[in-house]
Amino acid sequence: MNAKQLALLLLFVCPLAPHAQAEIKHIEMRVEGMT
Amino acid sequence: MKQHLGRQSGVQNVEVSLIDGKVEVTPKEDGRIDPAQLLKATYDSSVSVAELDMTARGKIVKDDSGTLVLQVEPNQSFKLVVNELSKALEPLANSATQVTVRGQLYKKTDGKKKKKADASVPLKLLILEVQKKE
Repeated sequence: MNAKQLALLLLFVCPLAPHAQAEIKHIEMRVEGMT
Repeated sequence: MKQHLGRQSGVQNVEVSLIDGKVEVTPKEDGRIDPAQLLKATYDSSVSVAELDMTARGKIVKDDSGTLVLQVEPNQSFKLVVNELSKALEPLANSATQVTVRGQLYKKTDGKKKKKADASVPLKLLILEVQKKE
């Protein structure tokens, strides 16, 4: 496998690999005046 | 209020507890949720927010002014309020380390006058707990 093929392989495989995504996971509010 | 919040962008689910006045918002996995918009939407439902806590994962970044910031999306970040926990995260600034933190983004100040939340004012994150570094 030459360097070009390896680079192409990595290009297509990397987005499929699981990764720790930065995100808001949870939001909690304490509210007043709710009926 | 539940329906109003549920219509906000990036919201997967809203659970409301009438007994203790608690509202739990679960974001969509691939969605972008804006806490400031949630705050505004809650006020628009004629309900006063006493406190808003958030659990988020992101990178610690130092901005141009030297302030530590939690970057959760390329275009979404929260300035950190300086406390012992934020100081402990300073060595991770601008590194690839992802941290999961629980923090307070909003707390109602004293005074009985109901004040409408302003979504244009950036919310600052007071870290209450560092849950994970990876």
